[in-house]
Order: sequence, then structure tokens, then C-alpha cells
Amino acid sequence: MSSLDQRRAGFQRYKARVKKDGKPFYPFAMFHDTVMSLVVVCVIIGLAVIWRYGISGNHILGSLIGAPADPGTRNFVPRPDWYFYFLFYLLRIFKWPESVILATIGIPTLCLVLLLILPFVDTRTERRLSRRPVAIVAAALVIVSMGVLTYKGATAQEAIASEVKAAIPSWAKKQGFQNNQEALKGANLFAESGCTNCHTYLGTGSSNLGAPDLSAEGAKGKGIQFQIDHLTCPSCVNPGSPMPPFKALGPDNLKALATFLEASKGSK
Amino acid sequence: MAVTSTKKRGKLEGAAMYPLDWLEERSGLVGGIKYFLFRKVPGDTSWWHTLGSATLTAFLVQLVTGVILAMYYKPDVNSAHESVQHITHDVWGGWLVRGMHRWGASVFIILLFMHMGRVFLFGAYKYPRELNWIVGVLILATALFEGLTGYLLPFDQTAYWATVVAININGTAPFVGPYLATILRGGAEIGPDTLARFYSIHMLLVPGALIGLIGLHLYLVVRLGVTSPPWSKDAADRPPDPEPSAPPRSGLVQPAPRAAGVRRRPSE
Repeated sequence: MSSLDQRRAGFQRYKARVKKDGKPFYPFAMFHDTVMSLVVVCVIIGLAVIWRYGISGNHILGSLIGAPADPGTRNFVPRPDWYFYFLFYLLRIFKWPESVILATIGIPTLCLVLLLILPFVDTRTERRLSRRPVAIVAAALVIVSMGVLTYKGATAQEAIASEVKAAIPSWAKKQGFQNNQEALKGANLFAESGCTNCHTYLGTGSSNLGAPDLSAEGAKGKGIQFQIDHLTCPSCVNPGSPMPPFKALGPDNLKALATFLEASKGSK
Repeated sequence: MAVTSTKKRGKLEGAAMYPLDWLEERSGLVGGIKYFLFRKVPGDTSWWHTLGSATLTAFLVQLVTGVILAMYYKPDVNSAHESVQHITHDVWGGWLVRGMHRWGASVFIILLFMHMGRVFLFGAYKYPRELNWIVGVLILATALFEGLTGYLLPFDQTAYWATVVAININGTAPFVGPYLATILRGGAEIGPDTLARFYSIHMLLVPGALIGLIGLHLYLVVRLGVTSPPWSKDAADRPPDPEPSAPPRSGLVQPAPRAAGVRRRPSE
């Protein structure tokens, strides 16, 4: 901790030294800046060209554009741009519904506040890295954790609809709805509509955004009408729910999904 | 003869400088630019110090390519996806401009993080540059929001569903969350208004905020000066030891004071 007078004196020493030993911004520093800026522009153009043409026909930067947005779609994988992967993966770490708000709001807000108050926490004038062990450890931890989270987010796999569908006969057997056509139709919709991107059902799928395990959803006695209302507009029934509405599936499909959920009494 | 030629040259110089003098007298801009270009920076600035201007260059690329894209893009749910395909495949050089905007965003974000890391490790956020650090953190947060709003605009499946979840996550924030989500969506659900809203936020509101913040950031850099690297003399916590003008050379030229004291003792 340096007193304000010490810090002021330090800045006066800096100004005196720059006046005495400094060099003019133009042309010295500006030369470096110009070269670096040219490199940046070239890298951006290079990325655009690789995106368009790929490297020897291999489109490593992904497709130019996906299929048009369709709110009534069955299978989608919500994925942010890569620089949000660390936040995206954070959501998978916090699996319990009550703790999801920590990952979505808590940790990002905390990081932002920590960054904003940093200059008021570290008030020493010492800038030599050898004398700032805490700063070095903090920087290393941030770089490693953001790197790991970004990598994990980039390689995270969502369940493919066909794999989920293959599990339906065993679900029907375990839950005992083999003869319930409506529930079987609902199970197929459940597999196709991307529900398992967030929910787990009898060990299939993932738990994202705090989505609950639905294996025993029917044992809660909520009733078919509640399930339909919830699927139509989750945040209307359950304020603050991040689940997207599935209204676009239509009333028949929603009824089938609701029947399937109500038929899921949990594995015996 | 010699006198007249000097006079002539003086007149010529006066005529050439007249526009600049005119501008200087009325605006002070020439003096300002001269001050900016010829201000002293520490003698030991290096390539590390180019990350800030590289970030600015990436932002300028975004501005230029964004303006061009806005000439062809249609922020309407029925034609957005089509207009992006038109830009990519039909407009001359459209793929390059769109590619540069798409990947320039990534480069901009990477450079922001690298610049921030450099400032952190150099301790450049310390007195008297605390305010500039805070402005920088706000630029980072605003830039991430810019990335988020731009992600919806191609209006393909990924864009749509990622935005659905992003807005829903926004809605889980305590107190302000639901209101924020409604403002972003332009209603209770994602619809035509959402796309127009994101477009307006992405190309008017946030870039305006970024330009203002970056202007303030640069003003503070010029006002407070460029921080010297942590390996320079003035990076230490304390003032450096006074110049060794009279090095203590005990015994040879002058008798060392302590030795003299020791010698005196027996006589007491």
C-alpha cells in the first residue's frame, strides 16, 4: 500500500523521466503501431479467405451460413459464438437448478465487479512482476481457467437425435408405456426436439441450464394440462425459466409430449 | 538578389501554410495534432504497447465493413437470411466484407483480452490511470454485448436458438432480468420486432457507445502518458536510490567515518 503522496511523487518522477529520456510518438512508437495494425488487417482478411475457400477444400472455420431460422424446428443445438464458450461451459458445471443462477448471472457479474474495483484494491505503485506474486498467480489462474472452459465448450457434444431415439424402446419398457401410442409419439418428439440438449431422461442427455432430470416427471402429479401450458410458454408458468417455448409444435404434438411426460413415473 | 529570393521563399511558405494557419487560428486543431504526434512516450516502449492500437484497428475494420454490410442487409425475419446469402454469393466482394466482419469480431475480442492482459501485467491500471482501466473494462463488456447482438443477424438456426437461450438467461437476472429480456425481445416472445431491435442496437446504439468510450480511453492515454514497461526504472515501488555522485570509497581518499570513530575510542 502506497500513500497518495507517494503515488503522486511516483507519477511526477515518471513525467520528469519521460520528458528527459522519452522519444516522440511519431515516428518511433507510431512505426510499431502501424506495422502491428497492418498485421491485424492481414489476419482478418486471411480468416475471411479461409472461411470462404477453406484450406485445400477443408472448411475449418465452419459453414458460411446455416439453415434459415425456424421457430418450429425439432432439433436444434443452441451454441453461442466461440468467445462465449467459457460462459456456455460454465452452465454445464452448475447442474443443480438452484445454482444455475450462479453460472448465468453470479459469476459473470462477480468477474465484472472484480475487474472494475481492481485499481482500488491494488493501490501499490510497485509494477515489477517479480514483486507482484499475487497478480501473477491471479493472471495465470484466469488464463488457464478461461482456456480450459473455452476448450471444453468447443468440444462439448450434444446427444444426436437418432441416438436418443434408439433408447426409446428401453424407456417404454422401464416406464411401462409400451402400449400407450400417445406416450410413444411423445417420446419420439422428445428425442427429436432437442429436449435432451438440456434435460436428462433415464441417463440419456445432459443437464444444462439447470434443466431437471425428467425420468420421474410424471410422478409429481402435475397433470397433462400443466405440462401443455408449461411447454407452450415455460417462463409464463415458471417465471425466470430459461427454457424456450415449444408452442410451435402445435396442440397435438404438445398433448403427446405431455402424455409422455406424465407417463414417466421413474424407473423401477 | 539574395534578399529578394529569401523574401520570395518566405511568401511562398506563407501561401503554403496559409490554410493550416487559418485552421489553427480558428480551431487549434493543428496544434492538437502536433501535440498528439510529437508528445513524448517512454524511451522503452516496445511491441507490447501496440496491442491497444491494434485493437483500435480491428474496431475500425468492424466499422467500415459494418457500414458496407448495412447497405445490403435487410433486418426483416422473412428476408434477413436471404439478404445475407445474397451478400455472400451475389454481391461483388460481399463474401470478403462479411467474412472480415464475422472474423474481425473475433480478432477484436481476442485483442481486447490481450490488451487487457498486457495492461494488467504491466500494472498500467495503477495511479493515476484507474479511470482508464474502468473505461477499458466497460469497452470490453460493451464489445461482448455487440458480439451477442450481431450473432442473431444472419438469422440462421444457430443464430436464432442461441439468441433464444441468451435472452432467457438474461431474464433470470434478479429484479431487472425480466424487464431486460422483454426490452431485448420487443415483446413476450422472439418475433419480427426482436430482429429489428437487435439490428438497431447492434449498428446504432452499441457502436455509438463504443466510439464514445474509445474516445475517452484515448483522451486519457494522451493526457496521462504511456506507461513504461515493468522492467523500466520507474516501475519500482520506491524512488530509486539517489544518483551515486560521491561513491563511498572508504579508506583510500578519505578515511571512512566509522573507522575514524573506532580509532578515536581508545583515547577516551
